[in-house]
Amino acid sequence: MAHDNLTPSPGYLEWLPIEYQDLVNLGPYNREKKPKVTDMGKFKEIIEEHPMCAGCAMTLFIRLAMIAFPNPEHTIIVGTAGCGRLAISQASIPFIYGNYGDTNSVASGLKRGLDQKYPNQPKDVVVMAGDGGLIDIGFQGLMHSWFRQERFTTIMLDNEVYGNTGGQESGMTAQGQVLKMAPRGKVTGKIDAMSLAKVAGVDYIARIAPTNPSRVARTIRRAVMIAREVGPTYIQAYTSCNIEYAIPTGDVMQDAFDMEKERYGFEEVISDKAKAYLDEIEKKPAKKAKK
Amino acid sequence: MFTQENLILQRPEPSGNGGVQFLYEVKGYGILAINPPMEEISQLHWEVDVIKFTDVDKYKFEVCHTTELANKTLVFYNDKTFNEFLLKAFDYFKELDKLEKML
Amino acid sequence: MSDSKLYIKEMPADWVPGRDKQKVVSPEYMFHEAPREQVFITGSEAAREAIRRSNVDIAISYPITPQSETMQQAGYLYDEGYIGEYYRAEEEIGTMSAIGGSSRAGIRSLTATSGPGLMRGMEAISSWPGARTPLVLLNMCRVINTPLAIQPDNIEMSFLINSGLIMLHGENQQDFYDYTMAAFMISEQVDVTLPVSVSVDGFFVTHARGNVKMQADDLKLPPRDGWRSAVPAMDNENPPARISRDAPIQKSNFISYHMHASWQQEVFAATERAKKYINNYLGGIVEIINPDADVMLIASGAAVSQSREAVRQSSELGIKVGLIKVKAIRPFPKAELREACKNVKQILVPEFNQLGWLHKEVCSNLFGFTDAQIAPGPRVYGGMTMPTEMILEWLEEGRKDKPWFFQDPF
Repeated sequence: MAHDNLTPSPGYLEWLPIEYQDLVNLGPYNREKKPKVTDMGKFKEIIEEHPMCAGCAMTLFIRLAMIAFPNPEHTIIVGTAGCGRLAISQASIPFIYGNYGDTNSVASGLKRGLDQKYPNQPKDVVVMAGDGGLIDIGFQGLMHSWFRQERFTTIMLDNEVYGNTGGQESGMTAQGQVLKMAPRGKVTGKIDAMSLAKVAGVDYIARIAPTNPSRVARTIRRAVMIAREVGPTYIQAYTSCNIEYAIPTGDVMQDAFDMEKERYGFEEVISDKAKAYLDEIEKKPAKKAKK
Repeated sequence: MFTQENLILQRPEPSGNGGVQFLYEVKGYGILAINPPMEEISQLHWEVDVIKFTDVDKYKFEVCHTTELANKTLVFYNDKTFNEFLLKAFDYFKELDKLEKML
Repeated sequence: MSDSKLYIKEMPADWVPGRDKQKVVSPEYMFHEAPREQVFITGSEAAREAIRRSNVDIAISYPITPQSETMQQAGYLYDEGYIGEYYRAEEEIGTMSAIGGSSRAGIRSLTATSGPGLMRGMEAISSWPGARTPLVLLNMCRVINTPLAIQPDNIEMSFLINSGLIMLHGENQQDFYDYTMAAFMISEQVDVTLPVSVSVDGFFVTHARGNVKMQADDLKLPPRDGWRSAVPAMDNENPPARISRDAPIQKSNFISYHMHASWQQEVFAATERAKKYINNYLGGIVEIINPDADVMLIASGAAVSQSREAVRQSSELGIKVGLIKVKAIRPFPKAELREACKNVKQILVPEFNQLGWLHKEVCSNLFGFTDAQIAPGPRVYGGMTMPTEMILEWLEEGRKDKPWFFQDPF
């Protein structure tokens, strides 16, 4: 959905709801005045209304990601069951909500299809799914999409729990955590998905907590651009579940800072090819990314 | 392809083993040919018997392993050799018919 | 391993893909008018030749006997440029999910599987109709249960029956060829927009040779238009489709049931709407031999072939037996069967599976519309063969007036 498609005929815009006017005039589809994450709250976002719990860090991360997408008008999101999709599906970006853990297989077919259909218009495919959806039930599809060097971005919304089904432990839950289905505390440790991505040859890997909006935006942009031009990319984002982990709403951000310090520090692993490409696009910010 | 000349019936192989059965007839004699399903495509082949009809109209026949053409079920691995055999057999059956009439 | 073993073929700059050299013709011309030439080929080869003429954009493969042969052939077609994109996926959930993804991109998509592979991919497969993804699934039937076997047995089709897919069931190599091409065209009609499965009985069709009348290979079907669809392509070139946007759909666990109910109704209504295209492209959803006979065989797939010979041999005995070949299982030719069977006295349903899913379909659809006795068989399964003699014996038993004969033993 390009900005052109959103823009009504001359003279008609003022009669549309103010929200729609904001989307046209100030929204992320406006290429001339693309808003920054620091302007959050001052413009119509791709996603604003959502049924997520109060204080949900995942929602913050999803909103930041959607502001950061370099070409939201040519982006398609693929997700699976989990909390995240409740918010993602509210966006004005097509959202493919498939079966349990099928995201990276669906995205493989979708991306190859879009590349064939639009050889001259890059289409960004972004998988946004939970830790359980990717590392447990979607593990095989996840790993194979990396091994096959599929050109799309995988973002793990890692709240370290099955939030949507009511708080069961997942592969990404830390050792010793007491959750449903781990009544005596989780026996084994958190799966090292970062290392798996490295072994699989993912071109851009990042671990991040949503403590610094600009850094989130930069990470998302890098991941999407590298996926478009170089190879698979993976972002593992700490997006705490304040309900299942009983974090008081007011302390959600403090938890993110603490977690970042403790075991979720920012880490970026960039392949040589991806580095060369980043140098090319980030040194000349005035120029648009090559088509 | 192989010749359709003198082909009087093609039908699903009646024993249910799969494949199409081809029945050729010339002067009371004939050829029964089948290319049965194989687990490996590379093993596909023709199984061919010389037959003698007891009732052509009802497609009744007996396997005939006493001619000079063949004394057993023949196997052909491609359509070309199968077809060559068919043409040869047709000529042979015509000759055989002449010889039988002389007796 | 030395580098000399590394082989990745790069196509030369001046390479012209095979399908760029083909001429687009309308489905009507392709199916009804284009001159055809007869060849004697396997079912797998027939599928390959159908795919060659079907303007396929992507084929995603995963090996399983007896399907592998066909998707290998699709690989060669990709190499020749008759298929735009091709890869071997991780396993069947991955395959069926990915093909659902490629169909959402708006391109013509194909995959194939057999028995256990179908079962493995079933979660994804059963979500295609709801997602309204036009695509074609070739299904070469094989035993699914333990103990493991690779023999032909079409019980797996019973799992597809209520999934919302359109289901065609081919009798022989010619059907596999014709149905595959027609499947793409049926699947992509706006008022259909559904996946179509083309099932054939493994080995009997895939690994045996039969006569196939084919159009010239320089013709191809028109390309898919991803926007001409009940749910348009998810390519972000048009507003997000209802399935991803509208308030009650897929947004909540607790307010979606109303929407879900009407969505399902619409899927099954769409399968019914496909009937007119099946009638047009396949020359009727049923084929009827000896429509005035008192005894009727109703069959689909390879059982039709065996039934044909039984009909022929019966006529040699002076007994007229009829045959209804059911080409589509979904939509089921309900009205056609009711009309054809209203004066019939006995019906036999030969099948290649233990369950007798076609028998159940026949019984439930004819209930109240015929006085005929409907025999639960003959049936073979697990790879057993169905000799013509077996059908003839059942026909003879039916003539002996034994009521128990018509009761389902299971």
